[in-house]
Amino acid sequence: MSSRRRAIAGKASFSLISWLTVAIILLVWYLATAKGLVSGFVLPSPASLWSEFCVLVVKGYAGKSLSEHVLASLFRTFTGLGLGIAVGVPVGLLMGSSRVANAILGPIFSFLRPIPPIAFIPLMILYFGIGEFSKVALIFLAALYYVVLNTSAGVRTVPQDLVRAGQNVGLTRVQLFSKVVFWAALPHIMTGVKTATAISWAIVVAAELIAAQAGLGFMVMDATTFFRVPNVYIGIIIIGLIGVMLEVVTLAIDRRLLHWMGK
Amino acid sequence: MTAQESARAPSMIKISIQGVGRVFPPTSKRSRAVVALDGMSAEVFEQEIVGLLGPSGCGKTTLLNLIAGFDRQNEGEIIVAGRRVERPGPDRMMVFQLPALFAWLTVWQNVVFGPRERGEDARDYGPRAHALLAAVGLSGREHDFPYQLSGGMKQRVQLARALLNRPEVLLMDEPFGALDSQTRSQMQELLLEVWGLYHPTILLVTHDAEEALFLCHRIYVMDCHGGIQESLTVPFPFPRKFDLIGSTEFAHLKYTLLRALRSEEERPDCERQFGKNLN
Repeated sequence: MSSRRRAIAGKASFSLISWLTVAIILLVWYLATAKGLVSGFVLPSPASLWSEFCVLVVKGYAGKSLSEHVLASLFRTFTGLGLGIAVGVPVGLLMGSSRVANAILGPIFSFLRPIPPIAFIPLMILYFGIGEFSKVALIFLAALYYVVLNTSAGVRTVPQDLVRAGQNVGLTRVQLFSKVVFWAALPHIMTGVKTATAISWAIVVAAELIAAQAGLGFMVMDATTFFRVPNVYIGIIIIGLIGVMLEVVTLAIDRRLLHWMGK
Repeated sequence: MTAQESARAPSMIKISIQGVGRVFPPTSKRSRAVVALDGMSAEVFEQEIVGLLGPSGCGKTTLLNLIAGFDRQNEGEIIVAGRRVERPGPDRMMVFQLPALFAWLTVWQNVVFGPRERGEDARDYGPRAHALLAAVGLSGREHDFPYQLSGGMKQRVQLARALLNRPEVLLMDEPFGALDSQTRSQMQELLLEVWGLYHPTILLVTHDAEEALFLCHRIYVMDCHGGIQESLTVPFPFPRKFDLIGSTEFAHLKYTLLRALRSEEERPDCERQFGKNLN
């Protein structure tokens, strides 16, 4: 048996263990509700949640279909995240390579560092109301922060000789950034993008909890208000599953973009 | 001056270093300014391989960086192929000690990077790149990424990349210093083979007396004040083969060089002349 094959077999058995964890949690949940250990009001059984889920898929929630709620949350996340990356990468490249730019912008980011992004939700509502813009703006700011910080840190790790190798063949300043510095910093940039994606998803739900007419966060909050407990669970489970999917997708993009690192 | 040197016409000078000084200002209030080069003068002739040999911290790499245009001297002038050095450019290609390859590009893309980014004609540089990759023994590895290469192979890519730019001079900064001794010796022979094909003018920085003797036409031994202690013309004819290093004359010259290096390092005024290793 080759070592490569053994490694693949090892990977398969690890993912089997992970699926076992999921199965055991479902089993404990099922037993706890079937034996009446917890009240069905506080924790509905898997079967009743499933039937509620089917109702939700057919009828929707609060006048909107389930997919509308999901898409509302995803739209806010990707718009804010996309803008955050588009602005954050150039700003990070600038801060990482120019001491002046770093001196100008550094204090802003140092001040923001200890503040959790959701602390800005009230201000965003005050500034921009409860519409789409306030949520997208909040996610934009949070994503911007993580992308800028990781990108500028990445630029500072670029070996001097690599930049010189670029200058040596006569690259212009713009070429030096787009052809050398950006790529050399890409592993760090992708760390920022991965973190920003996870955080953006968490924040969109938080923002919707406070003020929204659609979205998964809105659904969870609204269902809580009206004691529709199964809907609360369903909302939370969907939020979690989409979070996992986002991580899988960003990880796949990461592998694809950084295959040359040989990992 | 030997007969060989005096026979050369001044027009064949490729690198002219004229009274170059470089002082690094103190990095903090408690440190002193560091004199890396002081009144350094030297020249390298066309198609010549010249070694710059010296103890660590004697300013060898500083000089190479000045010639490449990565750094600016405080005094003096450097003229390469008749032009004063003011900024980096492909007429002076550096081969770095640690392979500065672009990890996200294949071997081929690394080699053709310069001419491609300058928008040159692929019909010109393409065939030349193939020939160079063959010369450094990397045919068939064009599509590999740097992480798939050994240390010696990476240095071959650097060599091919540098030569594809058709530089006036090749600047090599301890190019084999980070390799194991077996690979190093193979790479030295390879460099001589490539020189036999393309005849580039090379200024090679090394702290290895044997390497300098084996590769170079001439050797400058630097002193610890950033100047030249002595210049030696290496008498061995080209092409040189590995067995040369077993000859008595080679051993004798190596001893002479090591003696010179040692006396330099033992000079009392050399001790702690350099606050940090500038090599």
